Amino acid sequence: MATKNSMDMDEMLAKVKGRQWALADIDWDAPGVETISEEFRPKLKAFMADLCWIENVGARGFAAMAKKAPTPTIAEIYRYFHAEEQRHANAELALLKRWGMLEDGEIPEPNVNIRMAIEWLDTYADDMPLSVLGTVIPMLEVALDGALLKFLLEEVHDPVCHQVFEKINNDESRHIAVDFEVLDMIGHATARKLAIDFVSNVATPALIIGALMYLPLLNRIRNNIVEMGLEPEKLYRAMERFEKLGNRGEFTHRVPLFQVIRQHAKMVVNPKHPYHLLANSMVTLSEYYPKALFRPIPTWFKELTYEPVTRSVKKGMNAA
Amino acid sequence: MTVRDDRRPTSSGQGASKRHVHTTLVIGAGFIGLGTAIKLREAGIEDLVILERADRVGGTWRDATYPGAACDIPSQLYSFSFAKNPGWSRAYSPSAEILAHIEELAERFDLVKDIRFNTAVTKLAFDKRAAHWEVTAGRKKFYARTVVVASGPLSDASLPNIAGLEDFEGKKVLSARWDNDYDFTGKNVAVIGTGASAVQIIPELVKVAGSVKVFQRTPGWVMPRVDVETPDAVKQVFEKLPVVQQAARSALFFAHEAAATGLVWNTPITTLIQQAGKLHIRMTVKDKWLRRQLTPDFRAGCKRMLMSSDYYPALQADNCKLITWPIAKITPAGLQTCDALQHEVDAIVFATGYDVHLEGPPYPITGLDGQSLQEEWSGHPEAYKSASAHGYPNLFFTCGPNSGPGHNSLLVYAQGQIEYAVSGIRAIVEQDLRWIDVKKDVQDDYNVSMQKRLRSTTWMSGCSSWYLTKDGYNASMYPGFATQYLRQMQDFQIRDYEVSSNAAQRLWNIPRDLTAV
Repeated sequence: MATKNSMDMDEMLAKVKGRQWALADIDWDAPGVETISEEFRPKLKAFMADLCWIENVGARGFAAMAKKAPTPTIAEIYRYFHAEEQRHANAELALLKRWGMLEDGEIPEPNVNIRMAIEWLDTYADDMPLSVLGTVIPMLEVALDGALLKFLLEEVHDPVCHQVFEKINNDESRHIAVDFEVLDMIGHATARKLAIDFVSNVATPALIIGALMYLPLLNRIRNNIVEMGLEPEKLYRAMERFEKLGNRGEFTHRVPLFQVIRQHAKMVVNPKHPYHLLANSMVTLSEYYPKALFRPIPTWFKELTYEPVTRSVKKGMNAA
Repeated sequence: MTVRDDRRPTSSGQGASKRHVHTTLVIGAGFIGLGTAIKLREAGIEDLVILERADRVGGTWRDATYPGAACDIPSQLYSFSFAKNPGWSRAYSPSAEILAHIEELAERFDLVKDIRFNTAVTKLAFDKRAAHWEVTAGRKKFYARTVVVASGPLSDASLPNIAGLEDFEGKKVLSARWDNDYDFTGKNVAVIGTGASAVQIIPELVKVAGSVKVFQRTPGWVMPRVDVETPDAVKQVFEKLPVVQQAARSALFFAHEAAATGLVWNTPITTLIQQAGKLHIRMTVKDKWLRRQLTPDFRAGCKRMLMSSDYYPALQADNCKLITWPIAKITPAGLQTCDALQHEVDAIVFATGYDVHLEGPPYPITGLDGQSLQEEWSGHPEAYKSASAHGYPNLFFTCGPNSGPGHNSLLVYAQGQIEYAVSGIRAIVEQDLRWIDVKKDVQDDYNVSMQKRLRSTTWMSGCSSWYLTKDGYNASMYPGFATQYLRQMQDFQIRDYEVSSNAAQRLWNIPRDLTAV
């Protein structure tokens, strides 16, 4: 790849392999739980639950990307990232458990928009081309890393939480670096291929349904955190970062979907933009989506656990 | 059984004074080594010696004692056509039965007297002046005009290189070196690997262990294996009418040959085979995500095909779980996966396969001018018809470079290699030659054609497998039908070789090393 500072993916894979950590590395009973105020607890629980499920959704995205990776090394990196997103979700569940927000064996309920995202991923993700997944996933990661996690660390003063998110942030910075490198590789394709890829996918029901799922999910989370006191500027800065990191690549700007998502991000972060009328009504509408229409929750969604160590085999919820 | 060593190994010709030069020395008393000895005897070569590192015959099948160990090629094809076994009990023979058959061969053909047990070859060097091979086995030395390497492709195995391996405090078991004294009953067990051995071990472990966690890196294509008992009546017919058994063998042979159109070459038939594999998953695996985890993303045939009808059901047993997260490290109590969880287990089974020696046998071999085979073969091993390597005269390989079948019985191929070696040895003995050494240009042309033909095969369709060297060169598989391979192996041509003859030397009385013509 002819980018100016193209990344050595073998080196990156070695780095990823060398920086593994486990739930057992963290003392979940260390003091600090008392720093969470009573009135903050329900909001924090809802926020963490969303965060945890978004990580899990991201994990599934990487699983799909591993099948499309341009090289075997990148496929292997994605295989690790898939596991690392799962690790983040597990760690966030363990924090919830530490804060006494989960009963034994309890796993927080995913909201309706998460359920929709799961269903979409399970049905379509494996058939999506890399140019779609490779653009949407960095967006989610930047939003997570840049806005949600920073916000959380400002609001929560539990040292264990900080310890956990320091590890998560380190992982995420590697994810973002690879994400944008691959996005740049995607942009390196011929204009003709980019155009064909874009046009043929925009028209697919899969992507239209995907957008219908993505818009309310993003707005629900945005609304939740704004309600919790996040200044919209932070979110704005995170979105700016998506654009900035993208523009750093030599060819990224040529990816049509990158431009679409970039424009969309601008609308999302502007609270006065009429776009929110649409997106928020979609959130409201999704609440009326008949639950009976959901297919059973896929088993990959049930693999999360807060238990650092397992002995025998457990299947289903809370399995490991 | 007299197939074990009951005697002290006799040192054949220790010391230069009473140096005895055998006509042929065979390395390995496994299936192929014994087959070679049988055919050599049949050709009238009586002065032969077989070196075996263990204390009994059987090779890989002596060592493969893990639960469920069996052949994944139908029994009828898993014997030499010149020494069939009418008594196979099942469609796919368990390892103990194959071992018993090999032991029976050793007895039936009275081969034990020629086997030197507990004799592991450590060095092979060609003595140009004396025109024979000097074979070192520890402190012992053997001499032979010709050598057949029959040490097998799957004879060595070792623990994989995983961080923390040394720290594990539980039981470590290597599939190829099973510890039959360890009782798995009720134990929490981890199995690393999902290849040919694993799909046989896992269903057996699930029956007895408390829990079995299977750690998978890449799923393989699994085809159902219909393993039925052979009715007694059929065994009797095979015994009394060998022609019927030969017919059954031929039918199976050609059925496997047909599969080459999809398993050897990357064609629409490959896609059909994949559809069959997917259908197998669809019909036997209930959960959608598990189906995704088990569906390979490489072309069928690119890695070894797996044959099992009880692997998928075993994975879905209540006490079994498939884990596809990468392993971060091995801990004192078990394993840590990259999803941040630790799995405590009593034992880890490493079903991680064999150390395949693509770079040549695991002992140094020096040739005509002192060159090293291992050096020449590091990276890109090359031989002529998989059997002869230029610069290493009178040396015949079995399971040599580009001799592997992807769709048929290894023994069918081995039989071709044995025939080729015997033809070469007969030529040397009958024409009283000092040595024959395959011509460089003949070997080069052959390999250019091999690599060209390999391009359209499934093995080169983009997966990484033990068939390929690190840089993706295929020096292991034969790109063709077994029929083609056998035809080339039946066609030994002395003109492909540089020949040094005793007659020429006597006639002209010239120094020995100038007699090559």
